[in-house]
Amino acid sequence: MGGLSTGEKNFINGGVAQDLRTDGRKRLTYRPIYITTGVIPQANGSARVKMGATDVIASVKAELGRPTAAYPDKGKVSINVDCSPTAEPTFEGRGGEELSSELSMALQRCLLGGKSGAGAGIDRSSLSIVEGKICWDLYIEGLVVSSDGNLLDALGAAIKAALSNTALPKVQVASVAADEQPEVDLSSEEFLQFDTSGVPVIITLTKVGKHYIVDATSEEESQMSSAVSVSVNRQGHICGMTKRGGAGLDPSVILDMVSVAKHLSEQLIIKLESDIAAAEAYEEEE
Amino acid sequence: MAAKGGAAPATYSPSLTTSKEKRRAPLFSEADWVRPDGRGFHQCRLAFMRTAAVNSASGSAYAEFGNTKVMVSVFGPRESKKAMMYSDVGRLNCNVSYTTFATASRGQVSDNKDFSAMLHKALEGSIILESFPKTTVDVFALVMESGGSDLPVIISCASLALADAGIMLYDLVASASVSYLGKNLVMDPITEEESYQDGSMMITCMPSRNEVTQLTLTGDWSTPKIHEAMELCLDACSKLAKIMRSCLKEAASPSQVEE
Repeated sequence: MGGLSTGEKNFINGGVAQDLRTDGRKRLTYRPIYITTGVIPQANGSARVKMGATDVIASVKAELGRPTAAYPDKGKVSINVDCSPTAEPTFEGRGGEELSSELSMALQRCLLGGKSGAGAGIDRSSLSIVEGKICWDLYIEGLVVSSDGNLLDALGAAIKAALSNTALPKVQVASVAADEQPEVDLSSEEFLQFDTSGVPVIITLTKVGKHYIVDATSEEESQMSSAVSVSVNRQGHICGMTKRGGAGLDPSVILDMVSVAKHLSEQLIIKLESDIAAAEAYEEEE
Repeated sequence: MAAKGGAAPATYSPSLTTSKEKRRAPLFSEADWVRPDGRGFHQCRLAFMRTAAVNSASGSAYAEFGNTKVMVSVFGPRESKKAMMYSDVGRLNCNVSYTTFATASRGQVSDNKDFSAMLHKALEGSIILESFPKTTVDVFALVMESGGSDLPVIISCASLALADAGIMLYDLVASASVSYLGKNLVMDPITEEESYQDGSMMITCMPSRNEVTQLTLTGDWSTPKIHEAMELCLDACSKLAKIMRSCLKEAASPSQVEE
């Protein structure tokens, strides 16, 4: 967003300072969130999240694989984000690569926890089928369809919705021989719902001038000095944090942002979960 | 051969070390255990830093924190590539690479592909980019030996190299990390501790300005623990910045004697 005039920039900065942003929102108000689930039939779970003009799709695909030698009792999860050039011409070719790797890294940090899997939003030990032999590999793909700021929060919400939409086929283990790869049967009727109660929400606080705002549009993001993304789970624990933007921040401001994010997360989790439930009920009706 | 193999374990056995590592894992979860290198939980490794490690570079630095050995060269400011658009502020180009022998198993570097971007973000805020318009500064970091907490060492070393190159900075950038192991916060973790960590926090900051330029956090944290970890990191950063500053002074003083 290089195309802002000085007047427009002042308008955004002044608005944020006076707690009345250009679209009439307050500093800590979200745009309306619309969630639809089951948008991709080929995937095990999928969801589309719209926040204003930001539009993202997340899909979850599950495949049977072998666990790694280091963690034989855990499945594998990979998160990838793709920024389509249909969203913005600058994403064309390698242009979107920097943004997509930044988003993927931030999501991995927020959702997958430490190397041992502790504190992860996605419990990887629930993906194990036969220890050391077979596990589920979850491939979580995010796609940015249209970009108008706050992509990370939207992707986080979409992944949460897609995971709760995910049904893994029930696996029957036919034989477990000591050295051989066990034979398995995938049920086509029985499915297991994926437990998403531990999946955190991501809240990005964008600092514009002296104040910070949630759910920034791309115009507002162009005026930011820095942004802190905090992921908070249902227990109010912080599961991950990343900072964007080059400008430095006072440590006390960061701690302040963390407590604001924690406070906001309570409402957002309730809102998202009821929206996800509503979207799934609607999907079943169809 | 078989008999020889049977007698060998007294001196050398690869399987013995793996079983030892497996025993260590539950050890970390207990309340009191001794760190593999005998440090206290909140103690950093000894830091060794020198500037002017490479002659051909505008500025360079070498850092050795325990087993982590890093070298950073800074080239430029030099003219930006013709293909780049005109820019009235300078550009920063960062690249982090590992030697093939840096880690125990060859080619284990896939974890670290985002280090270049992280280094860029950590340093960007400290450089007065307006002071070299239309030009680019290249920062190349090479990890010669990876011994844990690689990124904080790379960042601190790169900032020292930038200062050595005479690039205008607001302040030196120092960086530190803590690991969450069981119930303990462990300062400046080594590779072994990192592989068992339940969470980690890395902070890069400019101590004189009291500004955090970059911050990452993984794992499950309660707010008091975040406060505690941040205090620890910021304290370590300000101490490290003092070491970096004295290192720069040291490099500058002999030349004055010669004059």
